[in-house]
Amino acid sequence: MASLSESPSSVHGISKTSLDALIAARGEGAIPVQMRYDALARFEELPVRQSLKGGRDWKHDLAKLDLSNLDIAAAPQPIALQAKPARGMATDFDSARVRFPTEFAAIFGRAVDTRDDKFASLALAFQHGGIFIWIPDGVHVADPIRIDYRLAAGKFPYILIGLGRGSSATIVERFNGSAFVCGICEIVLAEGSNLQYALEQRSADDARTIFTRRAALGKDATLALAVAELGGEHAVERIRIAAAESGSSAEVTAFFFANGDQHVDIASEVIHAAPSTRSQTVIRSAGTDRGQGRYYGNIKILPQAHGTDASLRDDALLLSEQAHVDSVPALEIAANDVKAFHGATVGAISAEEIFYAQTRGLSRAEAERMIALGFFEPAIARFPTEALRAELRGALEAKFAASDAITA
Amino acid sequence: MGECVESGLRIAGLRASVEGKEILKGIDLVVEPGSVHALMGPNSSGKSTLAFSLTGHPNYEVTAGTVSLDGEDILALPPDKRAKAGLFLSFQYPAAIPGVSVANFIRSARQSLRPDDLPPAKFRKMIYEKLEELDMDAAFLSRYVNDGFSGGEKKRLEMLQLAMLAPKYAVLDETDSGLDVDALKSVGNTVGALRGTSEGEHTGFLIITHYPRILQYITADRVHIMMDGRIVAEGGPELADVIEREGYDKIREEVAGGVA
Repeated sequence: MASLSESPSSVHGISKTSLDALIAARGEGAIPVQMRYDALARFEELPVRQSLKGGRDWKHDLAKLDLSNLDIAAAPQPIALQAKPARGMATDFDSARVRFPTEFAAIFGRAVDTRDDKFASLALAFQHGGIFIWIPDGVHVADPIRIDYRLAAGKFPYILIGLGRGSSATIVERFNGSAFVCGICEIVLAEGSNLQYALEQRSADDARTIFTRRAALGKDATLALAVAELGGEHAVERIRIAAAESGSSAEVTAFFFANGDQHVDIASEVIHAAPSTRSQTVIRSAGTDRGQGRYYGNIKILPQAHGTDASLRDDALLLSEQAHVDSVPALEIAANDVKAFHGATVGAISAEEIFYAQTRGLSRAEAERMIALGFFEPAIARFPTEALRAELRGALEAKFAASDAITA
Repeated sequence: MGECVESGLRIAGLRASVEGKEILKGIDLVVEPGSVHALMGPNSSGKSTLAFSLTGHPNYEVTAGTVSLDGEDILALPPDKRAKAGLFLSFQYPAAIPGVSVANFIRSARQSLRPDDLPPAKFRKMIYEKLEELDMDAAFLSRYVNDGFSGGEKKRLEMLQLAMLAPKYAVLDETDSGLDVDALKSVGNTVGALRGTSEGEHTGFLIITHYPRILQYITADRVHIMMDGRIVAEGGPELADVIEREGYDKIREEVAGGVA
């Protein structure tokens, strides 16, 4: 914690006083001061959203979150761009408004609406650090852009990504947090642009992370968003994609494997707000040991979104008696002439699958491992780059090795 | 057979129950290395129960009798140890394993059963040869195990595994059902190659079937007729011809009349 010495003073907890101190120490950055205070007021007023509560007694409950000891003023940590786009603009979020005023103004706040969102409001109020990437019109970035960062206590990063008309890029974000991190990722895609965005969340065992991920898709824009929630004691991932203009298309993929005492919460929503939009959501959730997980999914088709084609598939796998995974998929359809599908399963590994593999010489433990890894494969197959897919498989195998419920 | 009196898959006095109901009521049968035994019988006679009891399916409880494989008592072993002892089952209804490719599945199986025997390149060469012999497309290898497979594709995958694993003893449970003539011929070729010397295995076969048709493509050394959990008639290949002509009714009448 050598960086602490650079801090003006130690400021703890979420309050107007701590926000005053943060702004005094760092300036307003890219978020106007009044916007921060308004956001803080909303954070304090708004209840925890229903979708994050659920009916059972969760080990971690956001309503009981105690942030009074959170160290707000610790020095910011840089976010590294491992591979910068050759023909794009990339900078830390705090200086983006000064360095790229036109582009910043064109996309900031276009996909994120914090007005009724408690934790997005918290992230906005205390925002410090983050990254800004803009890919200009017509630019195709061939190599994946890698965002790699590690954050300690009390960090509120803002990841802002915009693609200009007809441009394309692949972005791989690897995030490693500890203690408490609450962030926003905002993606704004202009007409005809195409973004593949993958997140690999590998936080420390003690981390609590809450991410609000929002995307707005222009006409004929395509987003493939793939999220791997691997680490953390309590990881919350809230995805909302607006297929806002006609012909836009979203592919949403997420998986988690809660082991030990991990608790993972994923919510995803695709809002079809224009005609001829498409979305395809694939979720794989699994729990072992005392792991808890929850997936809340929604496909919302507004009245004007005729010709929409949407699907939501979520499957959950339980590998121990004490593990618990809830899955709540929903469809809200207000348009005629649409195709919408959702399917969900929750269960253990089938005894017939284990027996079949055993007759081929695999031990029971080997069979379970193979079948459970296979369970994630339809999700993993949708992540970009073979290197990343191999890394994700390796991370899942390590979780198996660490699990005490799966015995040889 | 041979110098070892204990060789063979030896089933003696085998009784087995499913959910407390006795299905196998005392089975005696010996499959010698390199031999082909056909086990025929009408539906619900207990043929598949025998296959699952031999391989150790958890729902099948063996209540009496012994099964030894080349002298090793296998009834106390879990299914994977029985496979390692050399026993293979071609399933009538094999399970699908989504997310696990055929190539990875067979590679894992081969590594479990024969550790370190084939480097990846040789494994690849071998599996492509077997695919060709079975007239299967290489695209099979990247598909998920039995996931969305047709009935015929599932049977072909069972034969591919049989060919790749070259077990000491193989039980084929209704592998012929739902196969066309070309596919039956390739099953016959696979069985013929394994019982012969090409793999040096002399695989012994227990071929469970409802219909005699498969025996046009595989020459059985012995034919056993099973009814109501017992073997009620035994003979050479000509016994299958009797079934072909007369069905199971005549034998059923003889058994009922006590003239077995």
